[in-house]
Amino acid sequence: MEEVKCYMPQTLAEALQIRKDTGAQPLAGGSDLMVANSRGAGIVPGFKKPILIISNLPELKGIRQLEDGTVEIGALSTSWEIHTSPVTHPLLKDAASRMGAIALRNSATIGGNIGNASPKGDMPQPLILLDAEVVLQSVDGERRMKVDDFIIKTKVTAIRDDELITKVVIPPQKFTHIFFRKIGMRRSNAISKLTLSAAANIQDGVVVDFRASSGAAGPKVERSREVESLLIGHKVAELPDLKGAFLDAWCSDVIAPHAMPEYRRNATRRMLEYFIDSLVAGHPEGRVE
Amino acid sequence: MPATKIGDKVIRVDAIEKARGEATYVCDMTLPDMQYAYMVRSTVPRGTIDAIHLPEMPEGYYFISAKDIPAQGKNELWMIMKDWRCFAEDYVLYVGETIGLVVGPDRATLKDLRDQIKIDYTEQTPAVTIDDGINCVGGPMFPEKNSNVMCELFCEKGRPMEEVFAEADEIFEETLTTPYQEHAHLETNSAIATMEDGKFVFYASAQCPFYIRKSIAGLLDIPYEDIIIRQCTTGGAFGGKEHFPDVLCGALLIAENKIRKPIKMVFDREEDTQFSVKRHPSKCVYKTAVKNGEIIGTEGHIYYNCGAYLSSSFVVLQRGVFHANGVYTIPNTYLKGEGIGTNTFPTCAFRGFGAPQTLFCFETHLTHLAHHLGVDPLEFKMRYLAKKGDETTTNGHIIEDVKLPEMIDVITKESDYWNKIKEYKPGCGRGIGVALYNHGGAFTGNGEQAIIKAHARLTKTGDKVEIFVGSTEMGQGFRTSLRKICAATLGISIDNIEYKNPDTSKVVDSGPTAASRSTMIVGRLVERAALEMKERWNEGDFTTEVEYEHPEGYPWDQATFRGDAYLGYGWGAVIVEVEVDKLTNEVKTLGVWSSHEIGKAIDELIVHGQINGGIMQSLGYGSMEKLENKKGYFKQKSMSDYVIPTSMDFPKQFYHIQENPYPWGPYGAKGMGELVFNGASAAYVDAVERALNCEFTSIPIPVEDIEEALKNV
Amino acid sequence: MYNDVRFTLNGQPMVYTGNPLRRLLDVLREDYGLTGSKEGCGEGECGACSIIKNGKLVTPCIIPVGSIQGAELLTIEGIRDTEKGKCIIEAYAEGGAVQCGFCIPGMVMATYVLLNENPDPTEDEIRLGISGNLCRCTGYDLIVESIHLAAQKGAALWKK
Repeated sequence: MEEVKCYMPQTLAEALQIRKDTGAQPLAGGSDLMVANSRGAGIVPGFKKPILIISNLPELKGIRQLEDGTVEIGALSTSWEIHTSPVTHPLLKDAASRMGAIALRNSATIGGNIGNASPKGDMPQPLILLDAEVVLQSVDGERRMKVDDFIIKTKVTAIRDDELITKVVIPPQKFTHIFFRKIGMRRSNAISKLTLSAAANIQDGVVVDFRASSGAAGPKVERSREVESLLIGHKVAELPDLKGAFLDAWCSDVIAPHAMPEYRRNATRRMLEYFIDSLVAGHPEGRVE
Repeated sequence: MPATKIGDKVIRVDAIEKARGEATYVCDMTLPDMQYAYMVRSTVPRGTIDAIHLPEMPEGYYFISAKDIPAQGKNELWMIMKDWRCFAEDYVLYVGETIGLVVGPDRATLKDLRDQIKIDYTEQTPAVTIDDGINCVGGPMFPEKNSNVMCELFCEKGRPMEEVFAEADEIFEETLTTPYQEHAHLETNSAIATMEDGKFVFYASAQCPFYIRKSIAGLLDIPYEDIIIRQCTTGGAFGGKEHFPDVLCGALLIAENKIRKPIKMVFDREEDTQFSVKRHPSKCVYKTAVKNGEIIGTEGHIYYNCGAYLSSSFVVLQRGVFHANGVYTIPNTYLKGEGIGTNTFPTCAFRGFGAPQTLFCFETHLTHLAHHLGVDPLEFKMRYLAKKGDETTTNGHIIEDVKLPEMIDVITKESDYWNKIKEYKPGCGRGIGVALYNHGGAFTGNGEQAIIKAHARLTKTGDKVEIFVGSTEMGQGFRTSLRKICAATLGISIDNIEYKNPDTSKVVDSGPTAASRSTMIVGRLVERAALEMKERWNEGDFTTEVEYEHPEGYPWDQATFRGDAYLGYGWGAVIVEVEVDKLTNEVKTLGVWSSHEIGKAIDELIVHGQINGGIMQSLGYGSMEKLENKKGYFKQKSMSDYVIPTSMDFPKQFYHIQENPYPWGPYGAKGMGELVFNGASAAYVDAVERALNCEFTSIPIPVEDIEEALKNV
Repeated sequence: MYNDVRFTLNGQPMVYTGNPLRRLLDVLREDYGLTGSKEGCGEGECGACSIIKNGKLVTPCIIPVGSIQGAELLTIEGIRDTEKGKCIIEAYAEGGAVQCGFCIPGMVMATYVLLNENPDPTEDEIRLGISGNLCRCTGYDLIVESIHLAAQKGAALWKK
């Protein structure tokens, strides 16, 4: 097997130029690419394309909150950094803190987690619920798109060969209630079997906002604004009457049945119902456990 | 230095070097001019090999196959039988069967070459499951018998079952199954072959150095003495390195015979997961006759999936059958076992050696019968506890006092079992479950005398004594406990005892490190050798050697499987408490309480570690460890999809050790390494069943399987 | 020709000039002879190869050596003769944490990071701290107890 070229730029500008000239595949933490291309102990992984190691680009590091509450997360931010940052959203922290093993969380980056578009990736699910955007940069400039639009399907994204993910931008959020669950094969260090985030903003007894997204259940994170709209704008008191239609729509329309074995469909339904019931029961603001 | 006493707390002799990262495992070794080897394996489950197309091999690179076995040698590995071929030729019987090795200096080049080897097969329909095997799917594997049955046995006691069934009020029938389990020792299989002074020398991660020698010598038709096996620090084995190292070393021997340079083979994890031996999947069909609410007889048909070669399967199956009525005395029993051949990777030894399958199935069967009769399962089971003098299913007797009532008392108190079963209504989301179990120590019947004939030797030099036995340390602590036995018997410090990893050219054959026999049998041999040495202590430097002697008066007939199958059992009782999340079916284990009767603990800290680890493996087996074979291919390939428990999955365990000195063990000790695996999976399932008011007839029970079971509530 | 990779290994400045896509674990074990880091899975799942990079636990089996430019690395060989390292290793021996030993150097590294960050951890915190290090032998209880022991015995070391 031929050895591929490897580039190790020191600056973003340099990296973007290499990316444009060669289309080399970016490698950040390595936790996905090194495994996917592994050839075993003592052997260089069998990469098929030239590799662009971007692990040390300072421009892609750091997490900051802007004045309006927007949070910008550098693409090289690790799961650990996201989990421990004072400004990241609790749903994203949840997903980051339950991702893989501790050591993996110190290597795996948010840019990689989105860029790989693995159905088992943990971070896209809350990011899509939070309407997060991904910032793509090339030597020709910058463009932004919703994470939901960026990830097209398993292992396929809208990134161009000359672009790098530089950051993820999360708009300000207002939720009174949130819910997060990850069901893995074991209690830690586990690939997801199913993840679910739900969030609601209840003001004066009215559902001002309601969102739900589910991961690991199909080729891509599931979210439907149309189904969410079944609840939005209604009084909390109306939820008991509305929830049946909502749950039916979520579990049959949103989730392609073939992609969703019975357990995932039923458990998703039970969790969403539980979340809605908690709202109806006047659960105090905050996290619904 | 003060003399070591058996009750002293000692530091394991291997702990510091291992924790410092200084212990040498095979993967850590480098020899001058070392070559590497990778296996070329079958990619189809059953078929003929029509052609092997090799790429051009660069100088110094070799493809080694059956063709390289010299004329006087035979292409067979000798385990129990000689059916396992070192290299498949003409036909393949399972995915992963060794066809050849690629050997050479550069690993990347070797993998390139391996990828370029093209093998033409004519595929045939494989038999994969036990039912496939029973039905001879794809044609019988043994045409001369017109069947796939590799091995079989039965034992019966009391009256004929037709008579018992005719008399019963009802017959409670169930089919229960248990899955594959992967050993998942953290160190993968590995070995290095080299030459020294004209002899073939192997460094191996292995449990049984003498097994390897015996198994592979026939490949070249050379005397055993021309092969030297040196065991390296072994990173976990659990039965997975009992016979399987023969498969690596056999292939390496043929390569070494040709190439004559050091050759190293270390499996990657994906190879180790897919292409190594596993625990036998089982299917147990029990019919239990009930009259006036009491059991009057049980018939069990037990099927084990043996894969394509026998390896140790017949012995595994025997142990399964001998444990198929658990710790209970039932007046009339008929137990039949069949080892079924399939086109899957051969199954072999795994901690418990056939006992965990039948113990899980029978224990769960009795639990379900108790549900059916409306009695608390523990109360029900306690009516049938075996006691000293009871006739066993093999028409032998329970020779020792059975302390289960005392042990049950300890764990029910510690766990508050009797209150909790009242508090937790069936289906309330919380449940507490229990399992009782045992494990026959050492080889079956008189096998220690008839087959193994173990020896142990001690050599005294000044005030130092060295132990020479073939028994191995693989993590279980034997290098420490055997020294402790020796030191305490001699009345000297453990620091004055040496016991190195065995080298077959230097030690005597003390038998395999398997069957929970090391402490009980080899420990006793060393104790005897030490007693003799102590008497002669002032004679200067000398050697003592002893051979195993079987106690008189405990007959066993290996032809009919009648008699005293085991001289002593370890006994166990475990309680598990769980809480199930009714939204997601996730099970949280709240507590684990166990009591084990192992005669006497030679070293409590080591025993404690064995208990914790064995119970954890059993909980993994019952809860999460899913290894599925689809059409001959294992679906799980790595440590991320074949999951074993982490530190977060189960809570700290309560443990209790029940003393009951065993007359033929050192200081009263019996075997315990396997016993501790034999019950927790059944207790876990019992607890989940009670929490959800449902029943399971198979393991493991991850969330999606719980969803299935809940449909039937 | 490859770009140089400069980093610190167990306190020594190093310059690596080979293929930057090699696995850091191979470089440590084969180029530098640091065989205390074990390969259990090759996919960042088992933790047997765990080392410390800039104070954080990482698994070098999934890290290309090219990505450690400027990093400070510590392996078991770099801590085993330090006061903290000896404290952990001795506690592991005394507490019965070691069986087959293959996971143990990585477990010691995880313990080192844990106690540096949290000198007096609860049982749950310990279990979380080693949750990425798989052990097939011990059932973890005696490892957890040994870490408690290391925290107690080395209280003065960890609280610095």
